[in-house]
Amino acid sequence: MSRDPLHTKLCDSLGIEFPIVAFTHCKDVAVAVINAGAFAVYGAAPHSPDEIAADIKWIRERIGGKPFGMDLLLPAAAPPGGTIDELRAQIPKTHVDFVDDMKKRYDIPPPKGRVEHFELGWVAQDRARAQLDVVLEERVPVLAFGLGSPAFLIEAAHERGIQVWGLVGKPRQAKRELEAGVDAIIAQGSDAAGHTGSIGTFSIVPAVAAIAGDKVPVIAAGGITTGQHLAAALCLGAAGVWTGTVWLPSRESDVDIILKEKLIAATAEDTVHSKCMSGFSMRILKCKWTEEWERPDAPPTLPAPYQLLLGGELHQAVKDYRIEPFMTDAAGQGVGFVTSMKPAREIVFDMVDEAREVFENLTSDEPVATPG
Amino acid sequence: MTDRHPVRAGFERAVAGKVAECDGGDAVPGTNLGGRQEFTGTLTGDYVDHGDPPWRWYLMRDLTRKPDGYAHEEVWCESDALYLADGSAPPAPHSKRAP
Repeated sequence: MSRDPLHTKLCDSLGIEFPIVAFTHCKDVAVAVINAGAFAVYGAAPHSPDEIAADIKWIRERIGGKPFGMDLLLPAAAPPGGTIDELRAQIPKTHVDFVDDMKKRYDIPPPKGRVEHFELGWVAQDRARAQLDVVLEERVPVLAFGLGSPAFLIEAAHERGIQVWGLVGKPRQAKRELEAGVDAIIAQGSDAAGHTGSIGTFSIVPAVAAIAGDKVPVIAAGGITTGQHLAAALCLGAAGVWTGTVWLPSRESDVDIILKEKLIAATAEDTVHSKCMSGFSMRILKCKWTEEWERPDAPPTLPAPYQLLLGGELHQAVKDYRIEPFMTDAAGQGVGFVTSMKPAREIVFDMVDEAREVFENLTSDEPVATPG
Repeated sequence: MTDRHPVRAGFERAVAGKVAECDGGDAVPGTNLGGRQEFTGTLTGDYVDHGDPPWRWYLMRDLTRKPDGYAHEEVWCESDALYLADGSAPPAPHSKRAP
């Protein structure tokens, strides 16, 4: 019997059944995916160290000793500091007026309470270090980093039996991660949700796979939502796939139902690479906010952190009052293939079945059926 | 900075005055996202080592490339996010290239 193409070295390295990694900010999704035989990395970056400790305990209690991962965002560059008030005072009046006018035209009220964007960790290194202390102490099986280099902590992680994964968008970043001694490299293409580099998934994955060789597994990321994508990623030299968007509208996901419906209805063309949310370029679902910033009379977006501070009150009100036209989330171009609200377990099994069918068709002597 | 994560400042003569590129970025406060920001400039040689294990950051000035509208004339860059002209990274305590 021939080797199972879905049993990769990533499966061996983690002791998992399927080479699918779910990146999720929802603990219920993570648990469901892990218990279905795949792997999940829980996005803990927005959480305090105490919350992260509680999250780890919650997940561990529900997965029966299976491995899981935590993802943190390490800063890689830091401008000179300033208080929120100092930074807000530097925002040009033209931009403040533009957003005030938008609030009036769309009848957006003030937020109900605190504005999250104004209160979270501006002393980037301290916050990240405190989070790292927890995940190292808890000996989480896998630590993944969606930004910044984890090189400085690899020795400390390995001493505790923790795998370290780094996410890259350029070949030179992959070389650097490999030199540092990471255990896997996530090669992310520009199809992905959120911030991405400029290289597409079909180009970055084989480039990083060539750099990694047999040293570490490469995990493909960016626009991957189906079993066909999984099969293609393995053919490109990846040992697994990193998936995010596909889990957002899953049954277990805690994403607002309004956003789930928008995601299910969306096509690849309903995502946009824009700096209008935060000043950082990122792929998000189109909404009234993105449309307004594309108007010919709109001012240019501001750099981080000013753009986020400019829109902070509006975004908080949109969240507080669930104002549908302005609701958005990071979404990759694979969103067009996400067409129903399925349980996470079913998503895993469907991806596996679809990928197996691809490989069976590739090796079959029978004529391959064409779609439609 | 907290007592728990002390910061030790220093100067690395070997990189002072050298042009470098930084594949920088940060978490986006109030969201679960991160974003990259790329810079090109000149390293002053000044660095800080943050916490233990030490996490090294270099100061870059005379920026010739920075994000549109970036209001500052300098940026602190994590040592492994920096690429010198030959593609190497500046010295850091955790690597073989440590001084």
